[in-house]
Amino acid sequence: MFKAAINAELLKDSIASLAVIVDEVRFRISPEGISVKAVDPANVAMGIFELGSAAFDEYSADECEIGVDLNKITDLLGIADRSDTVRMELDEVNQKLLIDVGGLSYTLSLLDPSTVRAEPRVPQLELPAKVVLNGADLRRAVKAAEKISDHMLMGISEDIFYMEAKGDTDKVRLEMGRDQLIDMKSGDACSLFSLDYLTDIVKPTNKINEVTLSLGRDFPILIDFAIANGAGKISYLLAPRIESD
Amino acid sequence: MKARTCIKCKGKGKGLCGRPRCPILEKFKSVQSISSDISGNSVFGASPPAIFVGSFGYPRVSAGPLIPPFAKEDDALLLEDPARWANMPIEDIISMRSRLVRANTTLHVKDAQGKENPLLAKAQELALSKNPVDTEAWFFKAPKLELKFDAVHTPMGPSGLVKNFELAENPKVPKKVDYLVYDTDALAKDAVLELYKGDVSGEQITRLFSIGLLGKERKVVPTRWSITAVDDMAGKELADKILDYPWVSEITLFSGTHFGNHFEILLLPRVYSFELIEAWLPKTVWSGESSWVGEDSEGLDGKKKYSSLAGGYYAARLPVLEYLAGVKRQASVFILREITPDYWAPLGVWVVREGVKNAFKNPPQTFDSLEAAVSDLAGRVRTPRDEWVQKARLLSDFRFQTTLNSFFNI
Repeated sequence: MFKAAINAELLKDSIASLAVIVDEVRFRISPEGISVKAVDPANVAMGIFELGSAAFDEYSADECEIGVDLNKITDLLGIADRSDTVRMELDEVNQKLLIDVGGLSYTLSLLDPSTVRAEPRVPQLELPAKVVLNGADLRRAVKAAEKISDHMLMGISEDIFYMEAKGDTDKVRLEMGRDQLIDMKSGDACSLFSLDYLTDIVKPTNKINEVTLSLGRDFPILIDFAIANGAGKISYLLAPRIESD
Repeated sequence: MKARTCIKCKGKGKGLCGRPRCPILEKFKSVQSISSDISGNSVFGASPPAIFVGSFGYPRVSAGPLIPPFAKEDDALLLEDPARWANMPIEDIISMRSRLVRANTTLHVKDAQGKENPLLAKAQELALSKNPVDTEAWFFKAPKLELKFDAVHTPMGPSGLVKNFELAENPKVPKKVDYLVYDTDALAKDAVLELYKGDVSGEQITRLFSIGLLGKERKVVPTRWSITAVDDMAGKELADKILDYPWVSEITLFSGTHFGNHFEILLLPRVYSFELIEAWLPKTVWSGESSWVGEDSEGLDGKKKYSSLAGGYYAARLPVLEYLAGVKRQASVFILREITPDYWAPLGVWVVREGVKNAFKNPPQTFDSLEAAVSDLAGRVRTPRDEWVQKARLLSDFRFQTTLNSFFNI
């Protein structure tokens, strides 16, 4: 059983953050909320997504799992107003999700969860460095990097967190000291990441006050931020490019 | 070829363009040899079947059957079957194809939506056939000797404007073809895929598509566009399919040469992506005095725009996807195509399709590292490694972009 109502914009943003990783996902539904864990087809990025029942206007559910084509939901939410409420109810027998939004009723066919790639195991991480910064700053650095390169370096050097991109001839660098950051745990950190992924990942962070980056040397980065006033959480784990031989 | 060079040389064997033979003279030789077969203003022979639709003047185009004078069923079949030309010298292919007389008529591409044009209706009937069909054509004037070389098209012989042509026997129509041609509710794309899955040859699918026999809103489509459209549609379908398959287990390298086109095909154990690098050595068909290197690629989401490498891109991609679908694996695919001066006359885009297909018939090598594979393949191409390797985005991604499972057991 699953029956819930949620703000359309919040649902739209949540779906968009998942769509960065995959097109088809398994939603794990429980009385506490909805969670998704997915790895992109190239095995470079993982998304871990949790939306607690408190994020919903109404919520009641038993344990169940459904397979969803995110493109379809994105399409139909495209018609909804930001302030609309989306009502969802699962028809378990026919494997359909009934969605009511803005006076329109959709019947969305679900995917057989067994045809969707299985949930990955989420690794336990102890990363040497951590930075908490404003989402808009992160987004700005990524946007600047995009102009001149396909990759961006992130690291810490003498208590300064830096983001840097090098093109064939040009270079752009954003440095942030402790006073410009919300928090920092200094450590050995310097890794290069593909902007193909970073650009999509940081897109929603413009509205986010606190984004936490956990970093290492030539090691995957963990990017965490809260959504829905703390009732939900999104984490991305992104594998680095290693260019030194 | 640069016109100025040709004018200086005039085919006197000066070799100014660097080719072993003059494509213009070769063509004339064979065209002359058949001109005696064209008696007066009519031509009779078994069409393979073959149809040509030009793109000049679109949407008013010239189109019609290709008829080799006096050809019997057996030799006619060979004329439209590139898979069987593998060991023929280029000049033989040119002279063989030059026997095909184009019986042109002018029509509007939308004529395919009605049946008012009797010559189009007859050309369509011919296109349905799997086997050669005896065809007779009457021209206003004796067909003109004409040179027709092109990067996409297969060479063709003289052409003339037809008064009329008739099929002297009934076409043999495969069931699947019959069914889809009469299905006016199926989209052209779906019909093409259905035929492709039904083992109808690419040549016949292109023919049906081109002469306006497939789809809902039917149109005659220039041959050049049809060839690539069919390669692209079939390729997209296969690309979607292989995304569900596991990655190839090892770095695998195939190589082969076809009509002076050398192919190195590298399959990397990663999610599907495709990259083609074309390296044209100096003095090949189109390159003139300098070499030229071009690159194009696609990821999981496929291509959004028409490839900068034109029809050759789609023609190279299709046989790779056929191979991967056959072994039920996906891979990041890197192809280096080097065009050598041995490819002295343009034969059409089938050279690429057949060349890649044939390379997969050779025993592959496997490697432990990308570096070893690249060194090996670089040893077989003449273009200096520095000239192409920086353009190879896919190779750098494979080498430098790590995956999560190289850090964790996920």
